[in-house]
Amino acid sequence: MAAERAAAAIGVGGGLRAAPVFLADRPRLRRLADGLLPWLLPAALLALWVAGAERGWISPQVLPPPLFVYETLRDLAVSGDLWLNVSASLQRVLVGFAAGAFIGLALGSAMGLSRRFEAYVLPTFNALVQIPVLGWLPFVLLIVGIGEPLKYILIAKAAMVPVALNTLQGFRQTPVALREVGQVYGYSRRQQVLEIVLPHAVPTLFTGLRLGFTKAWLSLVVVELVASSEGLGYLIVYGRQLFQLDLVMAAVVVVGAIGYAIDRLLDALEAFAKRRQPGAAP
Amino acid sequence: MTETTTAYSNELDIRSLGKRYANTQIEGGELQVLQDIDLHVPAGRFVSIVGASGCGKSTLLRLVLGLDGQYEGRILLDGRPIEGTGPERGIVFQDHRLFPWLTVEQNIAVGLRNAPFTPAQKRELVAEHVALVGLQGFEKSWPHQISGGMAQRVAIARGLVNRPRVLLLDEPFGALDALTRSRLQNELQRIWQKERITMLLVTHDVEEAVFLGDQVVVMQPNPGRIRRIVDVDLPHPRNRSDPRFIHLRDDVLSDFLDVDADASPAALPASPAVPGRLQLAW
Amino acid sequence: MSGPRTASPSLDRAELAALQPLRPADGSRWRGLVLPIAAVFLWWALSRLDLVNSALLVSPGKVAATAWDQIATGRLWRALAASLAREATGFLIGTAAGLVLGALLGLSALANRIVGPSFNTFKQISLFAWIPLISVWFGLGDVAKVVFLSLAALVPVVVNTCDGIRTAPPALLEVARVYGYTRWQTVTEVILPAALPSIFTGVYLALIYSWLATIGAEYLLVAGRGIGNTLVEGSEHFQMDLVIFGMVVIGLVGWLMNALARRLERRLSRFR
Repeated sequence: MAAERAAAAIGVGGGLRAAPVFLADRPRLRRLADGLLPWLLPAALLALWVAGAERGWISPQVLPPPLFVYETLRDLAVSGDLWLNVSASLQRVLVGFAAGAFIGLALGSAMGLSRRFEAYVLPTFNALVQIPVLGWLPFVLLIVGIGEPLKYILIAKAAMVPVALNTLQGFRQTPVALREVGQVYGYSRRQQVLEIVLPHAVPTLFTGLRLGFTKAWLSLVVVELVASSEGLGYLIVYGRQLFQLDLVMAAVVVVGAIGYAIDRLLDALEAFAKRRQPGAAP
Repeated sequence: MTETTTAYSNELDIRSLGKRYANTQIEGGELQVLQDIDLHVPAGRFVSIVGASGCGKSTLLRLVLGLDGQYEGRILLDGRPIEGTGPERGIVFQDHRLFPWLTVEQNIAVGLRNAPFTPAQKRELVAEHVALVGLQGFEKSWPHQISGGMAQRVAIARGLVNRPRVLLLDEPFGALDALTRSRLQNELQRIWQKERITMLLVTHDVEEAVFLGDQVVVMQPNPGRIRRIVDVDLPHPRNRSDPRFIHLRDDVLSDFLDVDADASPAALPASPAVPGRLQLAW
Repeated sequence: MSGPRTASPSLDRAELAALQPLRPADGSRWRGLVLPIAAVFLWWALSRLDLVNSALLVSPGKVAATAWDQIATGRLWRALAASLAREATGFLIGTAAGLVLGALLGLSALANRIVGPSFNTFKQISLFAWIPLISVWFGLGDVAKVVFLSLAALVPVVVNTCDGIRTAPPALLEVARVYGYTRWQTVTEVILPAALPSIFTGVYLALIYSWLATIGAEYLLVAGRGIGNTLVEGSEHFQMDLVIFGMVVIGLVGWLMNALARRLERRLSRFR
C-alpha cells in the first residue's frame, strides 16, 4: 500500500484503472493514454482561450491572446527587463529569508532550550504572530519608508514565524526515552543538546525552513504588489495600471515558474536531508 | 431468533485449491503461494491451521472469505461454490479493524449493516453478542478507550453477530500479550462450545492450534501445502496440563523443530519431551 | 509522510501545528506579561520624554483615545462587519466548492488524473498575484474580493479533502467489503468518517487563509470598507495611532478565529 500512499497527492496515479476494452491488452498504449490525461484540461482551456481571443468574444483588454503573452514574455527576456525584475525579487526573498530564518532559528532554539526564556517570550511572540504580514506593512512603512528595508523586514517576519515555531517544536519534542539514555551515560548539558536534542530536531527544523521559504516567497509577491518600484510584483501592478494584461500574465507565469522551481529544489534538499535520518520524527 | 427453514449442512469443502501470484523476481515469473489444498471441514467443527510465516495460511483464509476470486480448485460451502464475500462467512482479523468513529455497540452493528433484520432485532442481536463476549457496560465506549484484548472481543462479536455459518479467524490473538492471549483463547473456546459455529482458525502458535481445534492442519511453505492433519480427540474444555494435550502439542511442534532421535514423539512420556537441537525443519 | 510535495497535506499539517500557540512549558502566566508591559512602559516613556521628534511616535494614550473613538462612533464595528461578512461569504463558497472538488478528486482516480496536475500548478502561483487580473475581470469592489477569498479558501480544502479520502485505511475498507457495504455506504460510512480529520485541517486552513486574504484584498482592491481599509487609511494619512489600533484589531480577530477552530477540533476529536 506504500505506493498508493505515495500517489496520494493530487494528480498522480493511473486514471485508467477501469480501462476501456481496447486498451486492456495494450499496456504501452494505455500508459500513453494515461500520460496524456493531465494535458486534456490545459489543452481545452488553451483552445478556449485562443478561440475566444480570435473570435472577439473577449476584448484583448480583458484577456489578451496567448500569443501576445508569449511575445511579451520573450521581449522581456530579450530586453533584459525580465532579469532585472527577477533578480530584484530574488535578492529580496533571499536576503529576507536568510534574516528571518536566522532570527527564527535563534529565537526558536533559545525558547526551546531555556524554559525561562520561553516563559517570558513565547506569549508575546504568539500575540505578534497573529498579525499577518500585510497587517505589519503600514506600521513598518511609516517607520522605514518605502525602500528595500521595508521588503526585507516584512519578508523576514514572514519567514521567521514558521522557522521559530518549528525550531521550538523540534527542540521540545526530544523523546524522554532518548534523553534518559543521555542521563544514564552522564552526558553534560552541552553534549545532550548537541548530540541528542539537535540531531533529533533536524527534520522538524527543516520543515520549518521549508514553510518559512514558502511564506517568504508569498510575502514577497504581496509586498511587491503593494509597495515597490521593481520586481515581479511591480511588473504585475504596472501592467495592470496600463491595462497591459499580457504583461500581467507574463509576470504571473514567471512568478509561478519560479515558485515551482523553488519548491522542487526544497523537495530535493529535504529528501537529501531526510535520507540521513530514516524514521525520524516527521 | 429467525430460524432458517432449509437445513444447511454448514460444511466447508476445499478441493485442490491453488493460488499463484505474478512475480518478476522469480524464475518462471510466478510465485505459487498455495498448492493442492484439500480440506474438508465438517459442520460445527473447530479446525486450526498452523504454519510458519509464508506458508500461505492467511491467503487461504482470504480465498475462503471471498476477498480474492482468482484461484485454482474449488471452494464449496454446502456443496455450492462461494461467490465473493457473503454474510455466511464471518472473519476476525488480526488487527481488530474497528471503526474509530463508532462506539463498541455500533461497531458490532456494522456486521448487521445490510442484514435483513428490523432495527429492533438488530439491537437485540447486538446486545446478545455484547453479553456473549463479556463486554457488558462497555457498549458506549470508543475503541481508543478499551484495551487491545477488549477490542479483539468486539471484533469477535462483530464477526458472529450476523450468525455466519463459518467463522474465519486470522491470527486473532497475535497482537496481544501472552496473558490476554490465554484468556481470550479460553473465551473463544467457551463461545464456540456455546454456539457451535464452524470455525477455521489460522495461527502460528502451535499450542493455541491444539488447544482450540478438533483438527490441526499443519502447513509448510514454498509452496504452501498441507503437510499433515492431526486429529485432536480430547474433550472440551481443554486442559493445558493434560499429558495427552502436551503430547499432541509436542507432536505437532516437532514438525517445526528438529528433534533428537531418542526423544521419540510416539511414546507417551510422563514428562514433556525435551527437544534436542532446535533447528527449523526447513 | 512521503510522496510528491508542493504544498502537500503534510506541510499543511505542519503549518497548522505552527499556528497553534504553544504554551510555555512552565505554566506561569505572569512571566508572559512582563515583556509586553515593559514594552508599553518603554513606549510611553519615550513618547513622554520627547526624545524622538517625530509625528510617528504617538503615545499609548493617543492610541487608546483613537481606539475609543473608533469604537464609540461605531466605525470599528462597521469596518469589522464588512470585512467579516466578506470573509464569511468567501469562506463558505470556497469551502463548499472545495469539498465537492476535493471529494471528486479523491474518489475518482480518473478525475484526479485529468484535473489534478492542473490544479497543482494553479495552486503553486501565489494567490495574491492573481488579484490584478481579478480586478480587471471583476472590478474593484466586493465581487472581486469574494472571488479572491473563495479561491483562497478553496485550495486547502481541496488538497486536504482529497488526501483524506485517498488515505482512508485499506484495512477498514476491507471490513466494509466483507460486510457487503454498497459503494455509497462505503463512501459515506467508512471513507468520509476516516477522512474527517484531514477535511477539518483543510477547513481550518481555509478559515485562516480567507482571513489573511480578506486583509490583502482590502489593500489591493481598495473600493469599499473594511478593517484593512482602516489600516491603509491610517498609513496614508500618517496616523500611526490608527495603524496600531488596526493591527491590534486584526490580531485579535485572528486569534479569536484560531481559538474557535481549535475548540471545534477538540470536539471532533472525541473519538481519536
